[in-house]
Amino acid sequence: MAKIKLDIFRFDEATDTVPHRDEVTVDLPETTTVLDALEYAKAEVDGSISFRRSCRSAICGSCSMNIGGVTSLACKTSCGSAMEEDGSVKIDPMPNFQPMKDLVVHMDPFWDKYARLKPYLQPNDADSAHATERRVSPDDMKKLVDVANCIMCATCYALCPVVSVDPAFAGPAAIAYAYRFIEDVRDGKRTDRLAQISEDYLWLCAHCYACSYCPKHVDPNDRIIDVKRATIEDRVMMNERGPRHALVVAKTIKQTGMLAETEVIQGTVGRFNIRGLLKVAPLGARMALKGKLPPPFLKPVLKVDEIRTIFDALEAPVR
Amino acid sequence: MSSTLLPEERALDAHVRTNSSKSKRYGFFPGCVAKESCKELFNSTMLLADKLGIELVELTAASCCGASVLNDTNRDVARVLNARTYAQAEALGLDDVITICSTCTGHMRAANKELRESEERMAHANAILGKFGANYKGTVTVRHLLWLLIDDIGLDALRSMVVRPLNGLKVAPFYGCHIIRPESVNGWESARHPHSLEDVIVALGGEAVDYAGKTRCCGFHVQLEKDGIASSMVGQNMRMAKDNGAEAVITPCPLCHLALDGYQADAAARWGRTDLPIFHLPQLVAYALGVPAEKLGLNKHLIDPREVMVSRDLIN
Repeated sequence: MAKIKLDIFRFDEATDTVPHRDEVTVDLPETTTVLDALEYAKAEVDGSISFRRSCRSAICGSCSMNIGGVTSLACKTSCGSAMEEDGSVKIDPMPNFQPMKDLVVHMDPFWDKYARLKPYLQPNDADSAHATERRVSPDDMKKLVDVANCIMCATCYALCPVVSVDPAFAGPAAIAYAYRFIEDVRDGKRTDRLAQISEDYLWLCAHCYACSYCPKHVDPNDRIIDVKRATIEDRVMMNERGPRHALVVAKTIKQTGMLAETEVIQGTVGRFNIRGLLKVAPLGARMALKGKLPPPFLKPVLKVDEIRTIFDALEAPVR
Repeated sequence: MSSTLLPEERALDAHVRTNSSKSKRYGFFPGCVAKESCKELFNSTMLLADKLGIELVELTAASCCGASVLNDTNRDVARVLNARTYAQAEALGLDDVITICSTCTGHMRAANKELRESEERMAHANAILGKFGANYKGTVTVRHLLWLLIDDIGLDALRSMVVRPLNGLKVAPFYGCHIIRPESVNGWESARHPHSLEDVIVALGGEAVDYAGKTRCCGFHVQLEKDGIASSMVGQNMRMAKDNGAEAVITPCPLCHLALDGYQADAAARWGRTDLPIFHLPQLVAYALGVPAEKLGLNKHLIDPREVMVSRDLIN
């Protein structure tokens, strides 16, 4: 047994203007999950401590919170793993959400983004006259199984640095769930779905892999790449900066072997987009003053023909 | 000393350029940015290699690693391009490919993992490499210079090589995503609680500043996608570093350097002025090991690091 000091964020939006912290000491083994320790504290010490929970076994997705500065499921995290040197375990609500009461947050923005996906199968009209069940081959199903494991705990959304600065971004979970329908052979709205998720800033994903901490190994990071690739394959909303950027990067690598910074900036913003170029101009000017501007043209690397052979063999798209 | 030359000044007489004959030989993949807008990173890396007594054999025919963007266009192209790079290292008898960019590290390691874990993918890559007579056997390991410093040189040895300690300069580490995440690809240290940069800062005689932003994203990869995103992410992280007492930042990634160095000015309106100078990892290590400060390209930074170095009596 150990004395575990639960250092808990306390706030009630109905009565408080600022949050405070309470320390509750519980005598429990360090292997106790944070959720069990909170349950114990609520039952034995302070019944007013509020947090969401249900299944206690990483299936319901209710108990995601910030534990020792790291967002994770309280039922899947031991007190010992998050303990500071002084024996305290710091517990806060999920970041990127507005706190409601203690560790309970307003989940609405997360659900709203999910609802925008129309998260149900929409077969083609012709299919609706189907006389038999719609069948999916094991291979086609395999692609969807991992994403179907998502328990919508919002851990990825809470960890996402893009959500933290731009709440318009769909966030990792919604994009992964979009993939689940985009790649479902029974669905008939692939193009509409790709357009919708592009509008919800699919291409604002910063490739940071913060969502690789998914407690259910859904790996939204990889599904986001899959969805981006699908928009390029299906040529959906190709004039957005995201696909322009990806394809001009591919083009410069094929031409020179290297990512040519100057051409990538022009190609992404648009060579004739004066307003857009003016916005990046001040930084460019500051870099020029320091002699830090990338060269306007690059000499191809040695044996660049080999690189072009690889692009051609794979029929890899370039702009 | 050949390593002080700019890359374009070096002879292109062979497929490799070497900085001299040293005891430890490593394949060296500088990445695109160190050859374009962050030449000071390339030059300080070569100067540091001299001080460390290692030989960096530049893979001059290598292509871009894919920069995390190429995967968005095609499932296979980045993997096969990297297989070509590894084949070049193997042909030169090199086991290691050393990187100086977090994004190169993560994406080259991911490609290598995919190749080594699947005979099918390896055969697919080699079928294409075979068109120009190349072949990758799977023997290469991709590592960042930061890991080389700790694993091969060692923190104790590094400490003993310091001739100009940092005089307690308060340095905030900024890792850059792809050197730590995903853990299944990198896994060299804990992605959530890394401490290699802190260990290096302390070994150089500096004080490491802890802050929540050290493992967060700099926003570089979405700087062009929507105005203001990268600067907000930079402002958020640099505010945390500054509030925890940082005087400067160190990063193993030139993309992070470009974002953090470039966007603090734009972020000031929302996050307040931070003006933290952003050192490339090899710059600060090379300085402490005795490379003259004027050779490190510090004058190329938008936020000039020399002021804070003067305040700590590191330079005049």
